[in-house]
Amino acid sequence: MLEVSGISVSYGGLRALTDVSLSVSAGQFVTVVGPNGAGKSTLFKTISGVVRPTSGTITFMGRDLLSLSAAERAHLGIAHVPEGRQVFKTLTVLENLEMGAYPKAGRVEWTRSLDRIHTLFPILAERAKQMAGTLSGGEQQMVAIGRGMACAPKLLMLDEPSMGLAPAVTDTIFERISQIHSDGVTILLVEQRVAEALELSDHGYVLETGRIVLEGPYEILLADDRVRKSYLGLTDA
Amino acid sequence: MRIGTAEKLRRDLTVLVALTVVYLGVAWFVPNSYYQLILTLVPIWAAFGVSWNILSGYGGQLSFGQASFFGIGGYTVTLALVYWNLTPWLGIPLGVVMGGVAAVVIGTPTFRLRGHYFALAMLAYPLAILYFMQYFGFQEVSLPMHRDEPAAFLEFADPRYYTIVAVGLLFVSVLACIAVENSRFGLALLALRQNELAAEAAGIDTRTWKMRALIVSGMIAAGAGGLYACVQLVVTPDSVFGMLVSAQPVVMTLFGGVASLWGPVIGAAFLVPLSKLLDAYAGDYLRGIQGVVYGATVIAIILAAPDGLFWTFRDRFFRPKAPEPLPAAYPSARGFAAAHASPIALMKVEGLSKSFGGLRAVSNVSFTIGEGEILGIIGPNGAGKTTLFNLLNGVLPSDGGTATLGGEAMLGKKVHQICHMGVGRTFQVVRSFARLPLLDNVIVGAYGAGLSDQEAADAAIRALHRTGLAEQAGVPAGQLTNKQLRLMELARALAGQPRLLLLDETLAGLGREECDDVLNVLHRLREEGMTIGIIEHTMHAMMRIADRFLVLDHGAVLASGTPREVVEDRSVIEAYLGKKWLAKQDA
Amino acid sequence: MDLETLIESVLNALTAGITIGCIYGLMCIGLGLIFGIMKVVNFAQGELLMLGMFASFYLVTGGGVLAFLGPYIGPFVGAILAGPIVFVFGAMLHKFLISRVSGLRTAGSIDDGHFGQLIVTLGISLILQNGGMIVFGTIPVTVRTPLSSSAFLIGPVYGDATIFLNKAKLVACAVAIITALALYFVLEFTRVGKALRAAADNPTAATYMGIDVDKYYRMAFGLGSGITAIAGGLMATYLSFGSFIGFDYVIIMYSGVVLGGIGSIMGAFWGGMTVGLVQQMSALVLPPQLQNAAIFIVFLLIVMLRPQGLFGRSAERA
Repeated sequence: MLEVSGISVSYGGLRALTDVSLSVSAGQFVTVVGPNGAGKSTLFKTISGVVRPTSGTITFMGRDLLSLSAAERAHLGIAHVPEGRQVFKTLTVLENLEMGAYPKAGRVEWTRSLDRIHTLFPILAERAKQMAGTLSGGEQQMVAIGRGMACAPKLLMLDEPSMGLAPAVTDTIFERISQIHSDGVTILLVEQRVAEALELSDHGYVLETGRIVLEGPYEILLADDRVRKSYLGLTDA
Repeated sequence: MRIGTAEKLRRDLTVLVALTVVYLGVAWFVPNSYYQLILTLVPIWAAFGVSWNILSGYGGQLSFGQASFFGIGGYTVTLALVYWNLTPWLGIPLGVVMGGVAAVVIGTPTFRLRGHYFALAMLAYPLAILYFMQYFGFQEVSLPMHRDEPAAFLEFADPRYYTIVAVGLLFVSVLACIAVENSRFGLALLALRQNELAAEAAGIDTRTWKMRALIVSGMIAAGAGGLYACVQLVVTPDSVFGMLVSAQPVVMTLFGGVASLWGPVIGAAFLVPLSKLLDAYAGDYLRGIQGVVYGATVIAIILAAPDGLFWTFRDRFFRPKAPEPLPAAYPSARGFAAAHASPIALMKVEGLSKSFGGLRAVSNVSFTIGEGEILGIIGPNGAGKTTLFNLLNGVLPSDGGTATLGGEAMLGKKVHQICHMGVGRTFQVVRSFARLPLLDNVIVGAYGAGLSDQEAADAAIRALHRTGLAEQAGVPAGQLTNKQLRLMELARALAGQPRLLLLDETLAGLGREECDDVLNVLHRLREEGMTIGIIEHTMHAMMRIADRFLVLDHGAVLASGTPREVVEDRSVIEAYLGKKWLAKQDA
Repeated sequence: MDLETLIESVLNALTAGITIGCIYGLMCIGLGLIFGIMKVVNFAQGELLMLGMFASFYLVTGGGVLAFLGPYIGPFVGAILAGPIVFVFGAMLHKFLISRVSGLRTAGSIDDGHFGQLIVTLGISLILQNGGMIVFGTIPVTVRTPLSSSAFLIGPVYGDATIFLNKAKLVACAVAIITALALYFVLEFTRVGKALRAAADNPTAATYMGIDVDKYYRMAFGLGSGITAIAGGLMATYLSFGSFIGFDYVIIMYSGVVLGGIGSIMGAFWGGMTVGLVQQMSALVLPPQLQNAAIFIVFLLIVMLRPQGLFGRSAERA
């Protein structure tokens, strides 16, 4: 479904990503993990269209994404849950969700999507009229994910949903993401919290200083001590 | 004067004198009195533009109310003449003083504002004054003529003399601007314009410098206004306080080149004749065409040359010169203590806390940094590391706890005061003054620590040698590589002769070799006895440089100790990789 | 002054303040859309007001299309129709000029492009003012309606004190309120309105949602121009105006927007209303020249003491 091939990104003199390739097939749950500064968010932003790569290609269901602007990509059925939630603080919870359904595809399925969102996150139904800026971090994350679900996406991309959240809340969030996957949505998750992320996924990639250093099905990665070393800087990479 | 500016100073002065001579020469031979008026007005408006440029161009404090001072100057001269028979030769200096006073009165409450609010507030002052003047009946005040001794009252039958006086005014104004530009004043302004926070962190008292800039600006503007009144022979509230008057220096300087010495002069030289000639020639055919042409010209130039003509031409036609060689470094005046980590704690932190709303960003953190030691501060994203530095550095006020440096309390002080105490800080995002040479970028740090011009120059040169950047001293910062920029941040902090360095992600984004280069610099610093606290994510680098680690998670101290200890520590592994990972590994 | 006359003066000033205040409020909403949403410092807003006045004037008078609607309805319909005309004009302005010095293009530069915005909009202002003089002539005009010389009388309410409600201003006030409500409705309840608010709130996130932020900024600019123009058309029924009239109202607009709170579109309405009230009430105690000064003083006080205004969210205080 999503093919990323040979992507490199530079900011000024800074090499953020070097020759990164990954692929996500329909129905899969793919995770990209890596320590801080590895370039995970840059990868997410490149796929979303906010950042332009200096080389490489990205295709989604056969369409070349790089020829489309960021706003246009959303209309193809790719939903983004960005880093730091980025909810619309001055809009209500319900309005935030409605914005998620902005693309035409989203509007068609709206009632059903809203139902699903409310089942997953009942608190969003309770707080429908509340301004999103007044919610707690965990609740805002739910809004952000709900917003992503609102357009009945083919691919749901999440950028570090656990960031800044207490561990208990993070567990709930991951649970829900797993549920979403069981409902049949393809997921690309970029995360720092290794174990939880890898456990839920079918396939994982480990990113370190802009390169993919490791990839494979989750059992293999979980057993691999190189992941620990990568996080704690003990490699000679 | 700043180091390295001697040649620029010579060049600027030469150009100034040359321009003056040429201009006066041309003015002498122009017979037509309308053209003479134009020739007189150009330097007056140019001086007005210079005044705006100092505050809003160099200083970055966008003000749309320069007319306040212009009008005060104009009315002071006029009213002093009308009521006290005070000659403008004295009236203008009096106006200048009034302009300075007005600057203090206006600036004191208004500098509490920033951005849009500041600009709008500044806009309101002259308009409010305008209405008050109308109310008080100063609708139209003519300057009384003096038949005998006109020259003593700055009245000349021959318009060329007005031009001479106007050029004199501009000469003085440009001299003032040259003095500002080439001294620490100018550098402080440019620094606070680019990034007020970084300037504060480098020790610059931004509030004071902004006020000084406003005072100088107000004085020059008042002088221009005073002379304007003498030339026009009548003042009305609208002609000196009106919104178009406030707009003039803005348009001219932006047109000519903001934050450059010659920008206002170029702008005035183009735009004043343009508008006056349009007035004279086209005004008859189509009333209003001059406004249309003027507006269109201004738009076209701003779109084509957003920073102004001066910069666009300079960037296109002048290659950067080969950087000047730097003098050798002199040994530092403040010696450093023992070469290795000593048990004596230089900085002690106890129970430091900070909350944002309900979120505990830093939670009861206690640790020490020994003299001559390198402490690595690590932790997952969002652990509160940068917030910790912001608390120690004075950027954020703390909610509780204490911190002392060599026994002296650190908390509750302002950023530049902490800098004076001997704490140097770098930031995650490097802010450089792209058009200025590397040396100037570094010397800001020395000024911030309160060193005199000579001391600052020495300290900056030494800092450049220590970081290995001596060869790039003359290169504009915008052309430096990422590694060089990081080292520049370090050099800037070093130039302040700190006892303690707080480095925030100095190695971020560097490749393997670049990382090694920077690490070597840090090693050398440690050998000289520098104490360093460094936040980093690049773990393999940290392992090589840090003596001890402090691990933070969710704002609290998780572990501390030698690198080996910390990395094997279960709670640390859990923080980075999660409980489930540990569980799997144990299983 | 005896109590009766005092009460009459106060009540009349109050009603005048409210009626004019509503029109000012509509005018400020226009600027609020531009300054508040897009953070663009638009110095030509006064000229957009002026264009609204002239658009209405040409629509209504001199054999204009609305001549057959008669002098009672015509001027007000003209005012409303001025809106779409200036909307298109504003959108074009944005497309060719404003977008080059604002929005995502300049978001990274030192001053967020504000210098450029100031100069460009100032240039536009000059062109419109002077160009207007060339095209429209120098003689002040007005959109005459017999309603402006008749009034409803309320009272006597206290002794002989009567309240005079000028009919033209009353109708204008009603139109202003209806327009403001219509805008509120659009912003709160329609998809386009919500997307506009989203784009203002968080342009990056809005892009992720598939919202073309550039297009919405253009729409906001057009809308802001059109709304202010409608207010202009309404003011045209009781003012006489020339091409330079915008000048007098710029500071009123900025005061209203800041008072209402930058970022709050409907707040700008209340801000404008308050400015109108201050202006009319100050006429009771202050001589004419100082009435405008009073607005500035109020403006300065707000900015110093409560920069977030009545409804604003964030404040850029030092």
